[in-house]
Parts: sequence; structure tokens; C-alpha cells
Amino acid sequence: MSVRLRGTDSAIQIRWIPKYTTLERFLHWVHTATFIPLALTGFILFAPFLQPVAQGEAGTQIRLIHRIAAILFGGVPIIYAILQPRRMLINLREFLSFTKYDVLWVKNAVPYYVLGRHHDMPPQPRFNTGERMTALVMILGTATFGITGLSMWFLKSIMPTVLYQLMVLVHDLMFIITFAMFLIHFYLAVIHPMMWQSLVSMRYGVVSESYAREHHAMWYYGEKRAKEMWERRHSES
Amino acid sequence: MADRLAMYIDTSKCMACRGCQVACKQWNDLPAYQTEQTGTYENPPALDHYTFTRIRFAEYDDPDRFQWLFLKEGCMHCGQAACVDVCPTAALKYGPNGIITFERDLCNGCGYCSQFCPFGVPHLSVPSPLRGTGSLTGLEGQIELAQYGALDGLTGDVKSSKCTFCQDRTVNGLKPACVKTCPAGALDWGNRDEMVAKAKARVDVLKTQRNFPQAQVYGDTQLGGLGRIYVLKAPPEAYGLQADPKYPAMSTLWQKILQPVGQVAFGATIVGAIAAFFVARRNVHMEEVE
Repeated sequence: MSVRLRGTDSAIQIRWIPKYTTLERFLHWVHTATFIPLALTGFILFAPFLQPVAQGEAGTQIRLIHRIAAILFGGVPIIYAILQPRRMLINLREFLSFTKYDVLWVKNAVPYYVLGRHHDMPPQPRFNTGERMTALVMILGTATFGITGLSMWFLKSIMPTVLYQLMVLVHDLMFIITFAMFLIHFYLAVIHPMMWQSLVSMRYGVVSESYAREHHAMWYYGEKRAKEMWERRHSES
Repeated sequence: MADRLAMYIDTSKCMACRGCQVACKQWNDLPAYQTEQTGTYENPPALDHYTFTRIRFAEYDDPDRFQWLFLKEGCMHCGQAACVDVCPTAALKYGPNGIITFERDLCNGCGYCSQFCPFGVPHLSVPSPLRGTGSLTGLEGQIELAQYGALDGLTGDVKSSKCTFCQDRTVNGLKPACVKTCPAGALDWGNRDEMVAKAKARVDVLKTQRNFPQAQVYGDTQLGGLGRIYVLKAPPEAYGLQADPKYPAMSTLWQKILQPVGQVAFGATIVGAIAAFFVARRNVHMEEVE
């Protein structure tokens, strides 16, 4: 795609590289649109000043919203597994592969995201370490919420009370982890000044060539070449 | 709490007439329903949303003789009440004089109270045992049933309930309905210390004059002191009571540790992100960013 710069005769050429399928983007937004109401309705239990919202008829309606959103939230991975099982497996495999570059990424992430020091950032595949950790926490969270939530919903009068209490506890613990993770994810994807393209990619499914080169070198250049380039750059400096 | 009130329950005087059950239903406008005879005089089969108190029957083969034991069940009004701690709506509260009060309008039907009570006392309106075993009778029953739809178990549009020591009577200086009606003198109501003293005196009589060597007081020390002080003729286990009921550890873990941890974690994340944004905005040079 070429873009003519306003008021000049110059044009710049942007090459877009596909990153997500249409279904992936659609399901991501369904996940978002259900996770936020789930999180906000659950957050009420953590905020004593919101107690009036939990009381009486309002509380009953809040619980109903939580349940409806939960069904849609749980449906997302099922629909993905049915419609694009190969894509899901490819992504899952990528989410689960960690290398020494991920240790380096974690070490340099704070100086990078807070102070803009990108020199030491190691090359990353299609999903960087943070994205993979978010994805894994969300996968683990969805499974845990499914098991504990459905048990609390349908097995209350059947299961032993100790088990029920454990379910409540695990549900809450997982909420603390996933909601904190979501806040960080939201900050980096939507608010952080450098990461504007991540929102573009989740909207249009593509990232620019230059963004891919900078942020996902292993994906852009291939693993071997990206590593060689990084080692060379690192030994020079 | 010096002015704490309590119910005295003398199982050695109870004759299981169940007048207390009827008085409770009458005062609290609780509907009755058909039940099935299953080989016991106990009726209804368990405490439920419409049954705040009930006489439990137990058979105890003590070394000397056979005993038929009657225990008046209901909310224990614990000094340390897990239901109050886990209730997210403050429908359950430590009320005046140590009574665990229940405000139905505030309840949202989450059911945590029913799952964290060490005695399993609070019950949700659905699913309730009466849906399987019979139907509600009388006008109150029809009104009660009309409030709940077939999908309420699915949507969670339910309410909890439990004995409140007739909070509307006792705050006005009256005795709970069950105490007022008891014809055998097995029930009494008053200052908790006096009720404990009365129970201890009665246990002495049972031990020394009535040949009940295993007689004992129950409820004086358990869970921060219960609001029900029982005079038992036999060990608590013989009545189906836990000798040493425990405050659920999960409640402590949840309310005292996990919830504050969550509050700190959310707060720290939000404050951290805002701070990081302002630092990043100053330090990140977009012209260097691809």
C-alpha cells in the first residue's frame, strides 16, 4: 500500500503482513466484550464501596449478566477449535515454546516499555514473551473459570461444601491473576505510545513490515537469521 | 458482649411436640408443604428455605439404656459467624444483642452463606427439597411459588433464609415465637450469661439426680459462643451435632487474605500502569520507533 504524504509529491510504501485471521480477530473481540463485563461484575466483590450494586434485585441482575457473559466467554475457544483447529494448534504450540531469548526479554522489558531502550531487546517470534504469557494465563484462566464457575452454578446442592469453598477460592484467585494480566495487556495494547500497531493488527489483521521487523524479528527474518543478526549486534556493542 | 441474648434449649424436657415448628411457620409466614412418611417422625425431612426450625430425632444406645433424643435445629447465631463474613450484600449481619439478622431485600441469592455455614443452616429458595417431594400448600405457598419461575435455578434469581430469632419480636422485647409456644418449658430466652448459668445448673441436676452422667452444655464455647445454649443428655455426636465445629478455614483464606491481596494487586497494577505511561511518554521517542 502506498500513502501519498499530504502537501508533497513524496509517497511512502507500506507493506502489510497478515498476522490474524478474520475469525481470530472476531473471537478476540467477543472475548474482550465478555471478559470486561465478567471482570467488572466480579470486581464488585473486591470493592466494598460497590456493595450497594451487589444487593437485592440489582445483585441478582448482576449475577445474571455474569452468567450470560460467562457462557459466551466459554464459547469462544470452543468455536475457535471447531472452525479453525489447525490455526489453534499452531498458535498453542507457539504459545508454549519458550527459549533463552524469553528470559532476556523479561529482563529488558521494563527498560524497554518504560524508558524506550530497545537496543537490548532480543528477537521475538510472531508472539513476544509477554503476549505468550498473557495467552497462556488466559487459556489457563478460561479452563479454571469453566470448571469452578460451572460447578458453583450447577453443583451447589450436590458437591461437598469444602469442595464448593475451594471452587470459590480458586475462582477468585484466578480472577486476581487474569484481571491484573488484562490490565497490563490493555495498557500495552491500547495505551502504550509505542504499541499502536498491536491495536491495528487486532482490527485489520495485519502489521506493517517495519513493525514486524522491529518487534518480531524471528517471524520476519526467520529464527536462524534473526538470532545471527542479534548475536552480531550484541557482540559489536 | 454483655447484653448478648440467647435461646436456652433443654433437650431433656423436649417432648418433640413440634409446637415450636408450627409457631415459627405461623409467625414468619412460612408455607407448609406435603411430605412423605419415610419411617421417622421427623417432619419435614430437613431444614429448608421455608423451615427455620425443626426437631431432629436421634436414637442413642448408651451403655445403660436406649435413649430417644430430640434436638431443636436452626441457626446457631454463632459468635464468630462465617455466613456474615462471606455475605457480599450485608443481608446477614451481627445484629443487636448478638443475633445474626437477615434482611431479605438485600439478599441477592448468591448462596455463599449456605455453603460456608459450619452447620449448613441457611437455605436457598430453589433448588429446594420440596420441588421433588411435594408442593407448597395454602395461600402463602401459592404466593411463594408464584415468586419463583422454572428457570430460577439457572438464572440464580433466588433468596436465602434462616432463623433470625424472630428479630422483629426480640428487638421489641418479646420472646421468639417458638419459645413463647413451648408447652414443656424446654425453651427459654434471655441474657446469654444467664442462659448458660441455667444450662449448667440443669446439667448438674441431670447428672446427680436424673442419672444422665453424660449430660453436658453445648454452645457455650463453640465458635465464639453460640446463640443457642443446649442442655444435652448425651454426647453431641449422638444428636448429630459436631462436638467441635470449626470456623471454615476457606472463609478466612478468602476474606482475610485473598480479597485484600486482590485489592492491592488491582490497585498496584492500575497505579503502576498510569505511572509507567507518564514515564514512557517522556522517554520514548517515537521517531526511533518503527
